[in-house]
Amino acid sequence: MDAKKPRAAVDGLFTMDPEEPRLIGGKCSSCGSYFFPKFYQTHKPTCSNRGVEEVLLSRRGTLESFTVQHYPPPPPFVSPRPFVPYGLGLVALPEGINIIGIMTGIAVEDLKTGIEVELVLETLHQDEKGNDLLSWKFKPVD
Amino acid sequence: MHPWGKFPRKSFVDLGVEAIINALNDAGMQWTDIQAMVSGCFIWDGVGGLLSGHSIAAVMGETGIPITNVFNVCATATSTFRAAYQTVASGEQDICLALGTDISPAGFLPIVGGENPEDCDYLRWKMLGITNPGYWALECRQRMERYGTTEVDLARAKVACSKNGALNPNALYRKVYTVDEVLNSPMVADPLRLLMICATRDGAVATILCSAEIAKRFTSKPVMIAGVGLGSALYGDPTARLGLLAAPPKTDVPMLSESYMSSQMAYRTSGIGPEEMDLVELPDNSSWHYLQYLETLGFCGPGEAEQLLASGETELAGKIPVNPSGGMACFGEAVSAQGLLQIHEVVKQLRGECGERQVQGAKVGMAQTYGMLGNSAAAVFKV
Repeated sequence: MDAKKPRAAVDGLFTMDPEEPRLIGGKCSSCGSYFFPKFYQTHKPTCSNRGVEEVLLSRRGTLESFTVQHYPPPPPFVSPRPFVPYGLGLVALPEGINIIGIMTGIAVEDLKTGIEVELVLETLHQDEKGNDLLSWKFKPVD
Repeated sequence: MHPWGKFPRKSFVDLGVEAIINALNDAGMQWTDIQAMVSGCFIWDGVGGLLSGHSIAAVMGETGIPITNVFNVCATATSTFRAAYQTVASGEQDICLALGTDISPAGFLPIVGGENPEDCDYLRWKMLGITNPGYWALECRQRMERYGTTEVDLARAKVACSKNGALNPNALYRKVYTVDEVLNSPMVADPLRLLMICATRDGAVATILCSAEIAKRFTSKPVMIAGVGLGSALYGDPTARLGLLAAPPKTDVPMLSESYMSSQMAYRTSGIGPEEMDLVELPDNSSWHYLQYLETLGFCGPGEAEQLLASGETELAGKIPVNPSGGMACFGEAVSAQGLLQIHEVVKQLRGECGERQVQGAKVGMAQTYGMLGNSAAAVFKV
């Protein structure tokens, strides 16, 4: 029987480095704008839109805001059963871009703004064969 | 209008047809008087819904008139109104009907479309499961930290709307809530509780626009469209925009910039500013929106909305009555119809036909709504 192998729930959003995963964003070499995902380009209005490059975004940022969702979201999100309320964070990266991610490694009642967090990959849910499907999450830095 | 609610035996066409018949009766017109139509797309089921105007015209009786179908998410209906306004104002047609009809899915509004990995809306559901209230909660918490907004402030928005909705026979939810009841409702997306978030419901509204000359034939007291606005977002808008995973915040760009732009356009085209407004219908998707929009639309300065609300100045007898209809808090949101519900209320108020919830002496009013991915529309009316 094949060993169960974790894979990205959706390809192309982050590197699969188990130690130091990074989000794959984009940067415009004309106007310097960063964006994520890399296909969702956001340029300055006066930009010539030339020379977009793929960049790996910083792993660490600051928690600007957060919420705790107390009800299971509709599909395609796959919620655990029974559902457990989970945190979502808005994280400011040094590049000047805010990214939303699921919070991990902290109890929802301990969430607070201003803390430093870093990107990790964790299981979002499993496929029908029991393989782990991964997403990016933000975890407080010790 | 067709009342708001859940009507499992009715289709979006049924709702739209009933709204049109009611509007024609109100105006004293026949369907064959309508020279053009702009209809909000019904996005939840098939091509017949995307071409809602054509589907509904078939039932009303096909007359060969120009029909355009418009979709700007929750700003759809106000966008149909703007297009109808342009149709008449340009002189192309004298009488144009704007329609919004919707049967919105119950619960959290879900994804539209398939599993497209280059659709940010798919990714936000798949990878984050972030609901619309989840986005609003991210903004609400920042407001609480910035200005000291309390849970009681958030509850007061619902209480204020519920007092108005209780006086509105067309409102779906007519209970007057207390602050305690709101604070004891279940937490949905912390800090937003169930009674701080609007529901989703079905409904339809039709409005008939005509030139001032034609209007004289049908009424001695027409409500005039003073100006319209339509806005999209500005680069650097710091808002965590519904449907996206990231935002590049710039300090000199207003949040909800699409709404700032649409309201500014409406003020500019009407020559009427917020200080002259007798009432406003704003999009209270959540209590956070109620507070934020008082500032975005210029009814108070940054961080002053909580005080304006607590002072009672947004009530029917206050300086700027907000959502005299009861707002989305008392109707629930019907995505493609919501904006015309607001316009319906402003028109009724300016006609003086609102009974117990009438804003006394109302001469000037505004309706403004917004939708995901950065779009907003507004209209200013006067008598």
